[in-house]
Parts: sequence; C-alpha cells; structure tokens
Amino acid sequence: MQASQTVLERRYAALGLLLIAPTVLVFCAVIVYPLVSAIYLSLFSIFTPTLQGEWVGLDNYRTLLAKDEFWSSLVNNLIWTVGTLTLQILLGVGMALVLHQNIWFRSLARSLILFPYFISTVVAVLVWKWLFNDLYGILNHLMLAVGMIDMPVDYLGTMPNAMISVILVGAWKFFPFVVIAVLARLQTIPDALYEAARIDGAGPIARFFDVTLPQLRDVLVVIIMLRAIWDFKEFDMIYLLTGGGPITSTQTLPLLVYKEAFALNQMGMAAAYAVVMMLIMLVFMIVYIRRTRQEADT
Amino acid sequence: MAHTRWTGPGMTRRTALGGLAAASAMAGLPRAARAQTAPLRWWSPQSSPAQAAAYEFQIEAFKAATGIDVVFERTSDEGYAPQLAAAFSSGEVPDVVTHLPSFAAQTYYANGLLEPFNDVIEAIGTEKYYEGANNVFLAEDGNYCATGIGNSAANMLWVRRDLMAEAGIDKIPETWDELRNAVSAMQKGGIYGAPLPYGVNSMTSLIFIGFIHQAGGQVFTPDLQVNLDNEGTRNALEFYKEMREYCPPGATNYSWGESLTAFVSGATATGIYTGRVLINVNDQNPPLADHITCATYPRMSTDIAPWTFNDFASVFIPAQSQNKEAAKQFAAFLFDPPGYIRQLHAAPGHVLPILRTISENPEYQDNAIIQKYSSEVDLMAASAANGFNLGYESPEHQSNSKAGEIIGSNIISEMVGRVVLNGDNVDEALSDASQAIEAIMAS
Amino acid sequence: MIRRVAFNLFAWGIVLAVAFPLFWMLVTSVKPQFELFRRPPTFLPETWTLEHYIRLIQDTPFLTYFKNSIILSTATTLVVVAISTLGAYSLVRFKYRGRESLAFLVLFTYLLPSVVLIIPLYLMLVSMGLSNTIFSLVIAYTTFALPYALWLLRSFMAGIPEDLESAALVDGASRMGAFVDVILPQLLPGIISTALFTFILSWNEYLYALVLVNSDSARPLTTGVMNMLVSSFNIEWSLLMAASVMMSVPLIIVFAFLQSYLTRGFGAGGVKG
Repeated sequence: MQASQTVLERRYAALGLLLIAPTVLVFCAVIVYPLVSAIYLSLFSIFTPTLQGEWVGLDNYRTLLAKDEFWSSLVNNLIWTVGTLTLQILLGVGMALVLHQNIWFRSLARSLILFPYFISTVVAVLVWKWLFNDLYGILNHLMLAVGMIDMPVDYLGTMPNAMISVILVGAWKFFPFVVIAVLARLQTIPDALYEAARIDGAGPIARFFDVTLPQLRDVLVVIIMLRAIWDFKEFDMIYLLTGGGPITSTQTLPLLVYKEAFALNQMGMAAAYAVVMMLIMLVFMIVYIRRTRQEADT
Repeated sequence: MAHTRWTGPGMTRRTALGGLAAASAMAGLPRAARAQTAPLRWWSPQSSPAQAAAYEFQIEAFKAATGIDVVFERTSDEGYAPQLAAAFSSGEVPDVVTHLPSFAAQTYYANGLLEPFNDVIEAIGTEKYYEGANNVFLAEDGNYCATGIGNSAANMLWVRRDLMAEAGIDKIPETWDELRNAVSAMQKGGIYGAPLPYGVNSMTSLIFIGFIHQAGGQVFTPDLQVNLDNEGTRNALEFYKEMREYCPPGATNYSWGESLTAFVSGATATGIYTGRVLINVNDQNPPLADHITCATYPRMSTDIAPWTFNDFASVFIPAQSQNKEAAKQFAAFLFDPPGYIRQLHAAPGHVLPILRTISENPEYQDNAIIQKYSSEVDLMAASAANGFNLGYESPEHQSNSKAGEIIGSNIISEMVGRVVLNGDNVDEALSDASQAIEAIMAS
Repeated sequence: MIRRVAFNLFAWGIVLAVAFPLFWMLVTSVKPQFELFRRPPTFLPETWTLEHYIRLIQDTPFLTYFKNSIILSTATTLVVVAISTLGAYSLVRFKYRGRESLAFLVLFTYLLPSVVLIIPLYLMLVSMGLSNTIFSLVIAYTTFALPYALWLLRSFMAGIPEDLESAALVDGASRMGAFVDVILPQLLPGIISTALFTFILSWNEYLYALVLVNSDSARPLTTGVMNMLVSSFNIEWSLLMAASVMMSVPLIIVFAFLQSYLTRGFGAGGVKG
C-alpha cells in the first residue's frame, strides 16, 4: 500500500511537471532568454542600428549612476507611481463602495465606470489630449466660461501641470481595476458582520473602518502590489501624453530606456538602465512582501 | 567606421550577437527564401491619403512595366528612427525608403547600412537635375548615399493678409523686430501670433537651427568643429524666448502637425511650415484661402541672408535589401514623369520637384493650387533650392554624417526648452548641449 | 428619501464625470472638420456627419489594422489561456521540487519592463523568420500576458475545493479525467475572466507593436492609428476620435456580454493572491 502510494505520487509529480512544461518552455524562450541577453547587452556599448560595439564591462552602470538624468527620472518615476497609485486606490475604493449601494441603473453605472480601464491607452491618450487642447479643448473652454482662468491652461507643456495631468489621466484610466477587485470582494462580505456591528451601535464610518476595511485588507495588499508594478513600468501612457516633456520633467525610467535605445542609439546603455530599473522594483517588491507578511502574522 | 571596430579579445559585436541568434536554432533560414518571391517594401513618412493614392499609382505602373510587386508602408517623422534601427539591426529592412532627410541618409550610409546610389542617379539622368542638387548626398567616400525625391522649404513664414490689414501692417516682416511687432499687433481676439514649436522633438531642433543661422550663427564650423556657443545662438535663444508669449499655450508640445493645424485653423496669425499649408487651407478652411501668402522667415537683420531649411527629402536603398537590382529599378522609376508629377501634385507646393525637367513640364504646372499660388510656389522652389540643413549648413561646410543622430537625440530642442521654458542659465545650457554634441561627433 | 435622491445624484455625478471623455470622443467623431476649429467649441454638433467613419473605412487601412488586432488578440488569448490553465493546475495541485521557486519566478517576470525584452526578443524573432508577422506579436505579448494569466488562474484554482477532485479520483477517474470533468467547469468563470483580461491587454498594447512590426499587413490598431493619423502634415481630431470609437467597439461588445463574469469571476478569488 505504502509503496503503491509513492508510485502514484511519483506519477502525479511527473504529470505535474508535464503540465507545467509548456509554461516553463515559453517562459524560457520569451522571457528568460531575452532577459539574459539584456543583461549581457548591458555590458557592451552598442550602436543600435548596426548592433556593433565593444565590451565595456560595468562602465555603463558606472556612467548611469553618476548621471543626473537617471536620478531625476527615478524621482519622476516615484512621484508618478505614488501619485497615481494613491488616487487609484482612493477613487477605486470610494467608487466601489458607491457602486455597492443600490443606486439607480446600477449596472449601467458600473459599466460606465469600468469603461476607461478597457479602452486602449492610445484611445485614452488621444481623448485626453483633445480635452486638454489649448485652442479647441473643451476643458479650457469650460474653465474660461466659468471664469476660473482667463488664459487657456497648458496642461501638458509646463510643470507642474504636466505631471499632475499625467497622474490624473493615469488615475482615470486605471482606477476601475481597483473598483472591479474591491467590488467583487465587497460582495462576499457576509451581511451578518454588518448586522453585528450595527447592533453594537457602530455608525456608517465606524462600520467602514471596523468591518469593511479589515475584510478588504488582503485584496488591497494584492491590488497595491500589482498596480504599483504596472504603474512603475508604465510606458505607453506617459510616452504618448507628454513624451517625457516638458524637457525631461515627466520622463520616467521606461521612457529613459526607450530614449537611450532608440533616440540616442545606445542599446547597451539602455539595457543597463533597464536592468537597474528591474533591480529597483525587485527590492521594493521584496520589502513590500516582507512587510505585509509580517503585519499579517502579528 | 563602426562596423570594423574590434572589441578587446578580437570579437565584434556582430559575432557576439550571432552567437545569441544561433542559440535560437533556426537562424536565417526563411530570409534567403524571401529573396525572389517577396514584394519590394517601400517606406515613407510622407503618406497623407492623397500621397498614398499617388504612390499606389506608381506601384501599379511599375508592376505593369516590370512585373515586380511593391508594397507601400508608412512610417512617421518622429517614428522612423526607432523603426529603421530595429529593421537594420534585424536585417528585415525595407528595400526603398523615401522622404527621409538627407542627413538621415548620410548617417546610415556612414555606418555602412546603405547601398551607394550612383547608378540610380545615372539611371534617372544626371542632366535632368538642377545643378548641384545631389551635392548634399555626397558621402565622405565620394559616392552618393541617396538622391533627392523632392525639395521642401520647411520654414517659410506664412501670413494672413486680412489680419495684417486689420492690424495696419503693410509689409510682410523681414526682420525679427518687424516680426515681433507684427505678431504683437495681430495677437488679439483669441488669435495668437505664431505657432513656433517648443517641444522636445525634431521640429523644434530643426526650426531652431534655422533661427541660429538667421542670427548669423552656426552649429558647426565648416570643418565640423562644434561651434554652438556663439553670438548668433545666444541672440536666437533670446528672440525665441521673446516669441513664446505670442505662441499658443500648447506650443510647449508643438511639432509639425500641431503647428500646421494652428495656422490652418486660423488660431495663429502667422505660420511656419512648407507649402503643405496651401492644400490644407483649401481643403479644411477655405475662407482663408484668398488671404494667405508666404515669405522666407525673418532674420535678425537684413544684412544676414535668409536661411531656408530644406530637409532634402531623399530616396535610398538599404544595403541589406534582398533585391537590390529591383529596388534600384524602382527607385529610378519613381522619377518617371507621370507618376512623379502625380506624387508632387498630391501635396502641391509641399514637395517641390528635384528635376529641372519636371518643373518645366506643362503637366506639372497644370494644377489648380500651383497656378493659384504660383508666386508662392516659385518663391518656395527658389528658396528650397538654396536651402540647407544640419548635415549641410552652408556650401562651405563638409557634409556631416552625424546630423541625423544629433537631431534624433533632441539635444538642441532640449537646450531650447531649458532656456525658454525652464529659464535655465544660457551658458550652462549651451555648454551642456555643446558637450553632448561633441560626444556624438566623437562616437 | 431625500438622502437617497441626493446620494443617487452624487453617485451619478461622479459616474458621468468619469464617462465624460468617452461622451466627448463620440460627439467629436460626428462633427465636421471645420466645426472643430470653432472657438469656443460647440457642445453638441451643429452638423452631424458620419463622413469620418466612412473615410476611415474607405480611404485608410483601418480595416486591415482592425482585422490584425482581432486575430492577434484572439490568438494571444487562446495560447496564453491554454498554457496557463495547465500551468496553474500543475502549480496548485501537484507537488514536486521547484514548485515554489517557479511560482516566485512568475511573480518576478511581472517586474520586467517591456523595454528590457524588446531588442533581444526582436533579434530572436528575426532569426526564427517571424519578424513582421502577427505571430511575432503573439509571442511578444505572451511575455506580459502569460505571467498575469498564470497568476490569476492560480488563485482561481486555489479557490476550488480539493474535495471535489479527490471525490472524482476515488470514483476511479484519472487525474486528467478529473481535471476535464471536475476542475474545468469549476474554473470556467476564472478562465473567462482571465481570457478577457488577456484579450484587453493584447488589444491595447502599444510598445511591442511599435518596435516589432513595421508593415501594414501585420500592424495592429494601436500603432496603426497613431501612425496613420498623427502625422506631421495634419492632425485630424475628428478622424482620430472616430477611430477611437471604432477601436473601442469590440471591447464594448465583449464587455456588455461578459461583464458579470468579470466581476463575479474576480470575486471567486482572482485577487486573493
């Protein structure tokens, strides 16, 4: 009996490996191999169009750490990530609470709210650029009409407007993700918990902090991590909205990588930036996971 | 040259990457098979619907004449650099590329990426060109890296006579002072003075290089020493900064499209663009059509000669093309009068003929826009023929094969942005920009 | 009662504010070009026109891009969901060495910015003779879609009670038989939800498409539209807005039919980690 069990277990383990094999193969081919190549490339100085260059060892990394542009892009990257993530979470949780209530045409309201997340970044950027337009944009027109401003505002071309605009558009585009996840979780919170709190005399605000928030905790931990990763490496939205401008004021690390690789044709340098960027995210991730685990344990 | 540069232990980068590629087993198999059957790929950033239609006509005519298929694929002014970089590095190149600036062709040629163009120029007929039309394509090794497909006068000053009359201005500005006064007088009622670009992009770099020359300065000395920090550049920066208040708020992100649309829509009193303005105004905003005219862009003083920016739109053939003979045949065929004229008519006054024989051709003259604005078109043709760009700053300058990289790096537009928008110290901005350009020249 | 009305108005106020850009996109797309140059802008179009839609379909390669996007997103979704369903099953229900580190690797690949992988990936695709094909993008999209899909499905899978499968096994089903008969039906909402997310991610991707594909025959909508309409010779906002509306139509359809799956599926454990 004992022996046959192990045979079965071994057979299962083999089957398990077989099932994971396609994943592992694809991972190796399209992720691990390019990743290793990227690290390898970061040790060269390479002219992009010809892909020829010479071994420079760790020189790229040395240059990069000494460059102001790297640090300012990192700062921008953090401002953008923290700013947009905070807004996404606040808006997302708030909206999920609203949509959890029984409002008129609830399912229509839900669809409308979720929509920004599902349209393409290209579409979102085009629409917002059109809204922001200095000459024909409706936002400027409305604000002029109600007398909030007397000259059209340059939303994307000056600081701090550009960073604020990018953060706002980012929040608009991605907060529905938070709504989806939180709403789904809200629906699974047993009503009995609220009843109990109500009997204990808790008002709506106390109920939110005592019942809802603890129940949402796990979901929020995961959402914050996912969204932080995605926001940190967001390229499309910032690139298409401001291109990193004015000058380099909204240039984040992914844009810097792209610029090094294709505008400055320094593929090796670009790879070095990318590797460093990855390391930064890795450190953040590990710290974040550690801390949330610790909190969960205590 | 880069492709003969050896690495320490005697291994070129190509070998290194070859190793990487070999690891993925099937290296290179299907590429050879492609040679005979695949159609020629033709890239251009000039692809408005009317132009694309003209290209289709040329493609069909070529197919009828030779049986060779061609497919047209669009790229864009801001996007061609990464796309071609990817194409060159992979070997999956287009067979013919048109309408990129001459300095892009020079840069690629200097890196061994292009096929010498001499025999195509001969096939087109050297005697048909305007004299010296191909000088800008002469490479260091004595070969031609490309030929022109059209001239353009990209920094013409466009004005509205109606607004000038209203503001009591009787003559088109020739100097910066006159320009400043004029835009200041015309800026009212929601109309701005000028749509100058202030974004970090190629337009800002290219237009600002014009301003440097219009102040008597230059970016390089004739023997290609970086000479950005000069009186002209400083004056140009100062004037460009003064002009900011006469430009729409969004000019901080303007590139060609926004700048053009601002003038065409009537939002700015003056414009800075090629002859494309003509067709766009007539199509999109006909009420302005009878009021517009153009002149060469004003200079700091009339003692300084006008400096017209001509990107010298090129035709070239990548060295890695699998079908060079057909590509050369097609490149020459592009200049065949019926097709070439149709292509030029797709944006009359925007791309100006490079061949004398075409300008004189009655069929070319037979176009409503070219006739209606004949003096403007003539002026643009004359200015463009004597035009310059960063790869070719003056007749004395050696050709600069790094110009494409300098424009692509946005060093110059970044400098403009720092001084004009951020109010950074001019000395610092100039010295940073000079150093960055020197680094590119040295690489 | 008044509080209820006030709350509803408040809620709908926010909803409409969030949806306003979409309304504006729709309105702009039916305004004629000259009306766009009007300042101040007209709120509702004075003249309604569908010319931009007609031009888009007749005079531009829009439909080619559209078809490419459909093929590309569908193919990516099929490949990714198939691989990741098996992978997730294996990661959750089997015990073997390296399982945990594999799960960590999945998480790690999340961190990879697309820009890191682009050039090596491109070289690889070229040497395989796949560059400039839709298939090359399918492979590229796998790099970000697969880790995410695997992650989602893993948590869905973890939400299915193990007893069900054990019961089937005791009844004499083979492991794969139990997978097909018991797990798959239970996992369906998760699969649909994952498929939707994958489809959306692929439909909307921009960077890979920008660098990896340079021919109109394989270009998807995102880069196609930008390349075609945002040019140095014109910026036709109404055409851009018409294109934006049409790019979003398939998503609206998919969304309208499957919205409940999306939210419900998520509740089943999609983000429990």
